[in-house]
Amino acid sequence: MFDLIKKMLMLLTVAAGLALLVNGLSPHGIPLIGQWDTEVGVVTADTDTAALWMDFEISSPQAAKQVFDAGEALFLDVRSRDMFAAGHIPGAVSLPLGDFDAMVEGFAAKIPPQQPIITYCSGRLCQDSHTVAQLLMERGFENVVVYIDGFPGWIENGYPVATP
Amino acid sequence: MDTLSQHPDAGWWANGWVDLALRWLLGGLFVLASVHKIMDPAAFAKIIFGYDLFPAVAINLIAIILPYIELTAGLALITGVYPRAAAVILGGLLLGFILAISINAWRGHVFDCGCFASGEAALWQGTPGWMLGRNGFLLVIAWSITAFRGQRKILVRTG
Repeated sequence: MFDLIKKMLMLLTVAAGLALLVNGLSPHGIPLIGQWDTEVGVVTADTDTAALWMDFEISSPQAAKQVFDAGEALFLDVRSRDMFAAGHIPGAVSLPLGDFDAMVEGFAAKIPPQQPIITYCSGRLCQDSHTVAQLLMERGFENVVVYIDGFPGWIENGYPVATP
Repeated sequence: MDTLSQHPDAGWWANGWVDLALRWLLGGLFVLASVHKIMDPAAFAKIIFGYDLFPAVAINLIAIILPYIELTAGLALITGVYPRAAAVILGGLLLGFILAISINAWRGHVFDCGCFASGEAALWQGTPGWMLGRNGFLLVIAWSITAFRGQRKILVRTG
């Protein structure tokens, strides 16, 4: 029995050592502690990226509504087509993350790079709006921010909803 | 017939080749399962977060280390390095998975972040019933490898 436990501990030690070593060296590695508190922001394992994101976030529905009322920004809904059809922020354009590659050329042809764009998805458990924001920035869009409370935060506050 | 290789009262299941086949099956499945978790630890961490069973400080550590436990124990089973210890470890993981899935099925907890990325991840996870059935089947295999007392085939380190 003692021998078995000793051998299990040896295997587990090798596994943990290898894991921490590779995680530390790999470009896909993540910090030892993540950001999993929705009070703080969008949940993510990668706190380094999350800290960078903070500069490009609208972190309350009220702030998003102010931008909406100003009427200059284009709201970009990156959720699935079904979710968009069930209800979205009025005037928002649907660009699901899953269809990004197929649709981005048509989008870029119509929207100038200076256009203020606000991406949103399903709230603080969802990183898709950040992913799309990053992809758009990489394509040269200059004014992209993420509204992190997404559509759930919007309807919770009773703001107007459009259905196509 | 190599009678020395078998326990005196053992049946066909105590055959060293059957044991090897079971070791390769269980080890191979865990090695395969570990690969995409190792490739994308951030996505795996979010799945663990979705189970809503672990403290926030532990989630990333689990996501980093668990896949390597699967990989190391899986390779140990395949190559015959401490196969019994490896089978007990994987059996323990399977018990943990079964417990986690059962708790969430019982309390009706389903993680739906409404996202594209994790939606895809949910596809390879499958329904709770399928996961419980599969893990239960694999647990029987892990137990069988643990209980094996005959002469193992392909063995680098006993135990």
